[in-house]
Amino acid sequence: MAPITTASNEETHAALLDTLDMYKIHKPFRNPNWKPPQRRNKNLKQILSEAQRAQQSMLNTQQNSGATTPTPATDGTNTPALNPNPEKMSQDLGRLVLEKNAKQSNGISTPMAGTGFTGPSVTYTSIAAAPSLKPKKKYCDITGLPAKYKDPKSGLYYYNAEIYAVVKSLSTTQVQEYLAARGANTVLK
Amino acid sequence: MPHYTVPIETQSGRNSPKPSPAHVYNVSDPPYRGQLETDASGYRSSTPETAIVIDNGSSSVRAGWQTDALPRLQFPPMMARYTDRKLNRKLTFVGSEIYFDGTARGQAKNLYEPGSNIINNWDVQEGILDYIFIKLGIDGTNGVVDRPVVMTEPLANLGYSRKTMSEILFELYGVPSVAYGVDSLFSYRQNEGKTGLVVSSANMSTHLIPVVNRQPLIAHATRLDWGRSQCSEYLTRLLKAKYPGLLTSGKVNETQIEDLVRSHCYVSQDYDQEAQRLLEWSGLEDRDHIVQLPFQEKEVVQKTEEEIRISEEKKKEAGRRLQEQAAKMRLEKLVRKEQELEYFKQLQQQIAETTKKEARLLLDEEEFKDEVALDRRIKEMEKSIRKQRNKDVGDLEEEPEEPPSYPLLDIPDEELDEDGLKQKRQQRLLKSNHDARARAKAEKDAEKARQAEIQRLDDARREADLDSWVEERRAARSEVIQRIKERDRLKADLGNRKSQASQMRMKHIANLASDNPLGRKRRRGGNDDDGFGADDADWMIYREIQQGRNDDDEDDEEEDLGAQLKNIESQLLKFDPDFTEQSTQEAQKDWTKSLLHAFARGPWPFDPESARESNQFHLNVERIRVPEVVFQPSIAGVDQAGIVEIAEDILMGRLSGHSARDDILKDVFITGGYTLFKGFEERLRNELRAVLPADVQLGVRRAKDPLLDAWKGAASWAREKERRQAFVTREEFAEKGGEYIREHNLGNVFS
Repeated sequence: MAPITTASNEETHAALLDTLDMYKIHKPFRNPNWKPPQRRNKNLKQILSEAQRAQQSMLNTQQNSGATTPTPATDGTNTPALNPNPEKMSQDLGRLVLEKNAKQSNGISTPMAGTGFTGPSVTYTSIAAAPSLKPKKKYCDITGLPAKYKDPKSGLYYYNAEIYAVVKSLSTTQVQEYLAARGANTVLK
Repeated sequence: MPHYTVPIETQSGRNSPKPSPAHVYNVSDPPYRGQLETDASGYRSSTPETAIVIDNGSSSVRAGWQTDALPRLQFPPMMARYTDRKLNRKLTFVGSEIYFDGTARGQAKNLYEPGSNIINNWDVQEGILDYIFIKLGIDGTNGVVDRPVVMTEPLANLGYSRKTMSEILFELYGVPSVAYGVDSLFSYRQNEGKTGLVVSSANMSTHLIPVVNRQPLIAHATRLDWGRSQCSEYLTRLLKAKYPGLLTSGKVNETQIEDLVRSHCYVSQDYDQEAQRLLEWSGLEDRDHIVQLPFQEKEVVQKTEEEIRISEEKKKEAGRRLQEQAAKMRLEKLVRKEQELEYFKQLQQQIAETTKKEARLLLDEEEFKDEVALDRRIKEMEKSIRKQRNKDVGDLEEEPEEPPSYPLLDIPDEELDEDGLKQKRQQRLLKSNHDARARAKAEKDAEKARQAEIQRLDDARREADLDSWVEERRAARSEVIQRIKERDRLKADLGNRKSQASQMRMKHIANLASDNPLGRKRRRGGNDDDGFGADDADWMIYREIQQGRNDDDEDDEEEDLGAQLKNIESQLLKFDPDFTEQSTQEAQKDWTKSLLHAFARGPWPFDPESARESNQFHLNVERIRVPEVVFQPSIAGVDQAGIVEIAEDILMGRLSGHSARDDILKDVFITGGYTLFKGFEERLRNELRAVLPADVQLGVRRAKDPLLDAWKGAASWAREKERRQAFVTREEFAEKGGEYIREHNLGNVFS
């Protein structure tokens, strides 16, 4: 219980601790019967893989049952070229109806409805930017200056002879540290 | 072999010194901003229709009523919850209030998964919502939060995240209805955008969303996983590598790094050029920012002159007393010795006067072998007493310097008896000792004369032909430098396991350790001695395998080479007109010329002894290197296209045939915390201009308030009556599930 400011002493700090504490405050608006689901804290990887699995199983059942709803006519105006993920375009009629409802209720006429609003293909993963197509510029791993040279042994880029002397003197862990800054380090699994 | 030769003359002189740094920055204190007040006035004046607007951001959460002009609450999305052992109670702190206490700070958890814009810690989310509702004065008369909620969520939010959020809002807090929207689109709305490209570079990620006629083209939206929080992480990595051990000491925490990023970094207009220019000597003192970490200067006890004098006096006094005591003791000893001598002399007289038999008895009593021994003893004592008296009492009795004479040596052995032979042997030993000493002295004198002769000849030669002398010295100098280099290389080679030098060494060691060296089979019954050690040179192998041994045989060569170089250089300095201070080896290692020094220590000398200076770090290239990543993600190892390339791809590729493309280009709208870096807008404009066709119009503008406009836009959106259709009610949630949203033109699409 270390106070961080020099202005406070033990006593005032304890008092402050008491006033700031949110635990003891009664929260009448909370549902007393609420039980949070177990293990609800998931990281991005878990969520994505679960979502993918769910989607896959749904696709399978739909294909097997033959219950796929035919694509409505409105969807036909989509230009396939504009859709980055045509195979992901789920033919969920419910969703389309919903979309229509939303548009009507919003009172917005969407002149671009056919071109842009492709809908379900947009997922968290699909909007991630693709790798760059341009050549990567190389920068000195130590100083950040534009680098012309690369040490073949460690794989570090360096700016000039003076930096090369430093590169040579680095230990393996230091080399890995520098490489990790640009994600080129060796990761053992 | 030399790969290049070091020029004797450097191009220009030593760089001129700089005045000591004008401004040294400190790391910030924990951002404790005091307790947020509970303000129920908004709640009391609200109707059940008045929505609570929450911008659930990752740098800070902003919350307030839809009717407010500015969010009432702004705090970082952090919560610390722990049990205090001493007080034996559970404690929970939220927002900036965690910073008041060290433990709370250490226990604080962030709402978001590090490095992504996905909520990862729902307990923190609950704590944050509790905090918001309490501070907004919600009394919970019906056991629920009886106001609608407008909340921001990331673009293309994951179904799971939305589901969990809806569950919390509807089931835990019982809110009547909820609307979700994308923060950057709210911001665009607040800035009255109609058609354009929203570039939102925020804390956790960067989004580009084309908007046509207020309708976002979400299918073409793109996310780059880089934001300001990743910048802090990157800067931490860079600084850890630049100053090993400095950041791991726990002196710098995350908020301080964030603060450094915010206050020192800026977007360079031309990174490659500027990075190189940044480390140039002139003006480096302005570009180089020093950040001082807290440190403890080693205490040097300063004594006053009086104190020094007193302590010295004490020391002297003690010394004097000791001396006195010693002198007294010596004197006593001397007196005792003199008495003893007196006694022995009496004994001698007695012996001379008595018969042989009695004399024998007397001698035996005193444990002397014979008269000669007694005689010798007396002589010895006389000598030592004389010596001591000379020293102590100062009775100057010149000791007669006996010229060594060896009378017995010339007498042939046959003429001597046993005693005589013994003495002769002794004399011979003495003589040879004496001679050896004389020889050594003569040799020393000769060497001195030889050196003087060499010096004289050298001087003469120099006077006769300075040029060739200088030439010779320079050659010697470069040879020494070469040898130093070779030595260093060998040392480096031995550090490398695969180098030939260390391979040879390992081979030798293995050979020595093996029972049958050189792979020879031990013959049964035969002699298993391989003859090692018969030759003295065999033992040299142990010197050879010594780690860090140097190539030449002389052990002390290591220091010698340096001394040799110094010697030659001092001669050259003295006599060679072209050889100046700057061309010495040491001057060429001048730190003012070192790029590395400029990078790590700025334009000031560095004293590794100083605690103050070793607790500083210098930000120079980092200042532009860190924000540069959003333009070139590859430099931080992010395998994605940069912000300009993404924009180019959207505008020139995917939307190239779109009728509204030119209109989109007229309004490139930037928002989010990253855009607060100086130069961001200008750089984006210039780079976009460079990739776009010359005939299209380009407009780039920044949000009026890149941080708060998202909240303001959400509030003003919530104020409009017709927006109520975009709210999901509790009934709909129960019927359609947690992932369900009603789509509207500022939110995500339902998938």
